[in-house]
Amino acid sequence: MIQKILEERVYSLGILLVITALITSAVFPGTFPTFENFSQILLNLSIDTIVAVGMMLLLISGAFDLSVGSIVAFTGCLTAYLMHFFNIPVPIALAAGLASAFLIGWVNGYLIAYQNINPMIQTLAMMGIVRGCALLVSGSGIQNLPYWFNAIGQSKLLGVQMPIWYMLATVFAFTFLFNKTIFFRRYYYIGGNEKAADLSGIQVKKMKMTGFIITAVLAGFAGILLSSRLGAALPTMGRGLELRVITAVILGGATLSGGFGKIPGALLGALFMGLISNIMVIARVSGYWQDIILGLILIGTLWVDKYLQKEYAGVV
Amino acid sequence: MASLLLDDISKQFPGVKALSNVSMEIQAGEIHALCGENGAGKSTLMNILSGNLQPDGGRILLNDKEVLLHNPQEAFENGIAIVYQHLSLVDSLSVAENIFANLQPRNRYGIIQFNTLYEKTNALLRKLKLFDINPRTLVAKLSPAEKQMVEIAKALSKDPSILILDEPTASLTDRETKTLFEIIQTLKTNGVSIIYISHRLNEIFLLSDRVSILKDGQYQGTFDSKGLTKETLINKMVGRELKILKTSSSKNDKVLLEVKNISGAKFKDISLVVHQGEIVGLAGLMGAGRTEIARAVFGMDEIKSGEVRLRNKPFHPRHPAAAIRDGVGYVTEERKNLGLFPGMSIQDNVVAAGLNRIMPSGYYNTEKVKQLATTAKEKLGVVSYTLKQPVINLSGGNQQKVMLAKWLLTNPDVLIVDEPTHGIDVGAKSEIYQILKSLAEEGKGILIISSELPELIGLCDKIIVIKNGKVAGELSGDKKTEEQIIKLAT
Repeated sequence: MIQKILEERVYSLGILLVITALITSAVFPGTFPTFENFSQILLNLSIDTIVAVGMMLLLISGAFDLSVGSIVAFTGCLTAYLMHFFNIPVPIALAAGLASAFLIGWVNGYLIAYQNINPMIQTLAMMGIVRGCALLVSGSGIQNLPYWFNAIGQSKLLGVQMPIWYMLATVFAFTFLFNKTIFFRRYYYIGGNEKAADLSGIQVKKMKMTGFIITAVLAGFAGILLSSRLGAALPTMGRGLELRVITAVILGGATLSGGFGKIPGALLGALFMGLISNIMVIARVSGYWQDIILGLILIGTLWVDKYLQKEYAGVV
Repeated sequence: MASLLLDDISKQFPGVKALSNVSMEIQAGEIHALCGENGAGKSTLMNILSGNLQPDGGRILLNDKEVLLHNPQEAFENGIAIVYQHLSLVDSLSVAENIFANLQPRNRYGIIQFNTLYEKTNALLRKLKLFDINPRTLVAKLSPAEKQMVEIAKALSKDPSILILDEPTASLTDRETKTLFEIIQTLKTNGVSIIYISHRLNEIFLLSDRVSILKDGQYQGTFDSKGLTKETLINKMVGRELKILKTSSSKNDKVLLEVKNISGAKFKDISLVVHQGEIVGLAGLMGAGRTEIARAVFGMDEIKSGEVRLRNKPFHPRHPAAAIRDGVGYVTEERKNLGLFPGMSIQDNVVAAGLNRIMPSGYYNTEKVKQLATTAKEKLGVVSYTLKQPVINLSGGNQQKVMLAKWLLTNPDVLIVDEPTHGIDVGAKSEIYQILKSLAEEGKGILIISSELPELIGLCDKIIVIKNGKVAGELSGDKKTEEQIIKLAT
């Protein structure tokens, strides 16, 4: 039983989260365990988590995408640009924003899957290109966005901010898809052994391209959500998001070599990172320490994991 | 001058005894050939000599002194150099840097002296009569034959007293082979002992002083090449006893798969027919093009010309997905590399190829998967205590059964099986034979690629021998003997 929990990151991380939360509640009973604080934590990580779900999909299949942060900025800016300067109705602008994300994902996926360009190099290049496009479109940023656009990210349902609902919906939807559809389960096979997957009749190239498209569209959705929440589209949105998201997903149980990971792990990984930074704010630790501590936690987690794998390798 | 004595060497791999109590002697300055079928233990023995593997028992004596070879570095310090069958060159570096990898001439500040490096390389290449190769050329730009020669130069750069050559002529032209033989003779006169491994029996008679034979990891004796005939040599190599069910053929007249004059990158003008209930074997040396034929038929590689028909309809899948849909399965060689999803469970592996057929609605039904995996596990006798066990922890035989189960769930009419018993123990082998036989009896057509001749002879209705990508002959009935196959294949 204990062995099973230690092996499955979703469980071990979940338990670690609860323990951390309980200890923090005991130390800071007045400030930490409040509804406001919890919803603040969730709100802060909602954008990251939506992108992390896509990243988890890619890491399961053995790839990753560095351009997601730039896609967040670009789609937000493009949507705002269309609404602000051309008075295009909100739904059409949203569709155009998502379509642009789709296109970026398609280019990434096509070049990686069909032209064998290394995913890291391809998405690194795309990261720069798309960030540049975001700057071209929005200059120093676009404000005064339509009311209905801002409502997407700023309204509440049952007292909880909408981005949290979107995040939960994304996580639930993809958890369901990964557990219950053959289409998404194929990503585990591709990550497990790409050559064997191809020889088992899985159309690896098509699947990989689709993976990059899904990830880009999720990033596009996150970008729209972020600019709606801010009430403005800034070309600097999502800077450093790609690495934050990869960190969360790895914490959540994915491996760079592929084949492992569960969608809820993306949420838990992001939640853990959100929790740590929240605790440090409450404990008045200098913000400079945050990145240091998160880095140490990431290394520590993987190290312990390697140790456990060795320990159980013969027993499993 | 150095003589080498192997004393009672044994090596056990999970599930297979690769070498049992092998003792043999290599005299100083002789050319000693090592013969045996695939899986006889030649490569294992050479890997032990070159420090890549550690024997479980036995001693290695060099000039009557026991030596321990913990790694390739120590083997090389003892004057043992090996030329691998699979090239060990770095494509992105120059010829000179490859030859003197990690031993580049340096000045006292540790800076590489490139001029000296190129001069030394040039001298070495001239000695090998390789006037066409420039030391500054990138290895990537060389032909396979040139690469092989560079590999040999690399081994010689260490001035070994014992040189091991593992299938060195596989990628060489006749002219280059001749040069190589001349070099080997020169080395011999200089007192270097040479261990020569080859499947090409003619070369062995042409070159070697003595021949040692291995069969199923056991030493069969050492013989003077002069007094030996090709027939005796083959006789000593083969004739393994294997329990294969000699049941009657289940073949009937209905043609399932018909391959007509297909050509591809590594094969030419191949034709063959597989009937319902028939087991057809593809024999040949490694690299003869057998796997390439299978991959092309299965839609993995391109067919340049010719026609394939399945159940009398044209069959040209553009991806394995299409081949599976039409009822063709391909149990690949190299289990870990091409066949299995090593970190995933038995259950996940078993359904991998049949996902669409098992769950046509597209919804993943965990219960159904569990149930199908349980049935398959029982039917094929996979030994494990849970279906969640990652397949990497299974023995080779069980892994092979998992792969077979995976393909049976696609319900193929034609099943191509590539080296199904490679590296698995005798018990598991006969279970695999049982399974293949009963599949044929169910009316499936089976095409087996195998380097284990006894299994081809025991299982197949007919055997097609492939040599250099072409059909060298077809054997059936009483003509299916190991001697015949080896004659056609070499």
